[in-house]
Amino acid sequence: MIIRPFTKSYGGAPVLDFPGASLPEGEVCAVIGANGSGKSTLARIVAGAMASDQGRPVLEQAGPVGYLPQRPYPFQMTVEGNLLLNAPGGRADARRRAAELMEQLEIAHLARKKAHHLSGGETARMALARLLMRRYALLILDEPTAAMDIRSTSLTEALVDRYRRETGCAVLWITHSLKQAQRTADTVLFLLRGRLAEAGPMTRLLSAPTTPELRQFLDFYGA
Amino acid sequence: MRTALEQAVQLVLSGDYQLINIISVTLQMSIPSSVISLILGVPLGVLLAFCSFRGKGALVILNRTLMGLPPVVCGLLCYMLFSGVGPFRHFRLMYTIPLMIIAQVILITPIVIGNMESFAQRITPAVRETARGLGLGRGRTFLLLVSETRYQVFSTYLLGFARSIAEVGAVSMVGGAIAYKTNVMTTAIMNYTNRGDFTLGVALGVILLAMSLVLNLTVSLIQGRLSR
Ligand SMILES: Nc1ncnc2c1ncn2[C@@H]1O[C@H](COP(=O)(O)OP(=O)(O)OP(=O)(O)O)[C@@H](O)[C@H]1O
Ligand SMILES: [Mg+2]
Repeated sequence: MIIRPFTKSYGGAPVLDFPGASLPEGEVCAVIGANGSGKSTLARIVAGAMASDQGRPVLEQAGPVGYLPQRPYPFQMTVEGNLLLNAPGGRADARRRAAELMEQLEIAHLARKKAHHLSGGETARMALARLLMRRYALLILDEPTAAMDIRSTSLTEALVDRYRRETGCAVLWITHSLKQAQRTADTVLFLLRGRLAEAGPMTRLLSAPTTPELRQFLDFYGA
Repeated sequence: MRTALEQAVQLVLSGDYQLINIISVTLQMSIPSSVISLILGVPLGVLLAFCSFRGKGALVILNRTLMGLPPVVCGLLCYMLFSGVGPFRHFRLMYTIPLMIIAQVILITPIVIGNMESFAQRITPAVRETARGLGLGRGRTFLLLVSETRYQVFSTYLLGFARSIAEVGAVSMVGGAIAYKTNVMTTAIMNYTNRGDFTLGVALGVILLAMSLVLNLTVSLIQGRLSR
């Protein structure tokens, strides 16, 4: 799957100048970078939730895209209702799938609870389960574990890994955590103040960062 | 004040025919006009928040202007349209409850639209982004947005009803405050006051407030039930 080059500015101020990238099927690509470096902007535009300056879609399309925003919206209904919102096909199948996902993220006991009453980490797990009700060719996750504790984080990483193996989708995973990127990703995009400073295989980037900025970032975030 | 309260209670207990009629006319006007305004204004308000198109800003400003439309101007407009020389005179609606309802719908619908729009536009970006991420279509997304505004509908209805029941300028112009036909609480209070019958006026005012209280209690009870 190919992301075409594009730029994005908010009200005339440029925030992202992206030279393009390719996301191989079945692989996880981590996006790392400091606050405000343009990670969410990249996610939104690739997901088609926002237009780039060029206007046209930036993905050379190959199937449906699933996107988890940094702050997903809990619809004012039960947790299970939220999951069933995103259910293709029969009701019985959807219920089974929902139950399975809630089990895997350990929110089965919250199924009947109103989604807008959930805690931060619970909301994040509900939103991920809701997203994974369907099959996508590309999965975009914007800091899915930022609000989660260690256990939920590890459940999430396991679930996404399983989903990727089962569907063969590509994953674009935005994270602050270098450790998480190391655990989950095959390749890395390093954003620096709205530019793609480095891109390549995870292992090479970690062992031999070419830019001083990435070296600094790695030192600071403790890879 | 004490005598007014006593008189209010006495009036209600005595089942005074004229009072019953005034209350009945008031409700025959206020309930339909607030409900119709709600049915028109809720989808329009949410739609206005949901859609983006050229001239949307101007439309929002126009609606805000209409929210401030003075009732007497609305009454005047309806008068010119429906009276003996107006283009709609054949409907023969002058000095009837239906025309009072029409005038109130013109006054209240912009308020409903504005109230719903300003609430919906706050949650629209988040709802839209999440729905888009799930791959839901425009139609589904709009319905979800409407459903997210459902608790706001209650308070908006109360606002519309309050405006309707308290309104006097437009209804007295197009209704004429005819006893046993188009005389509502507010116009009756004006009449009593003009006659110097303050106690009866105050008594009616107390009853008006009590009605508003009962409605507010009912709606918040329903709202509490539903949101649990
Ligand atoms: N709607 C907007 N209007 C104006 N500026 C914006 C808007 N959205 C984002 N920006 C700016 O664009 C830059 C990139 O924002 P973005 O949300 O992509 O950062 P991020 O890398 O996701 O940061 P974080 O790690 O905090 O989530 C920031 O400087 C931000 O202030
Ligand atoms: Mg972000």
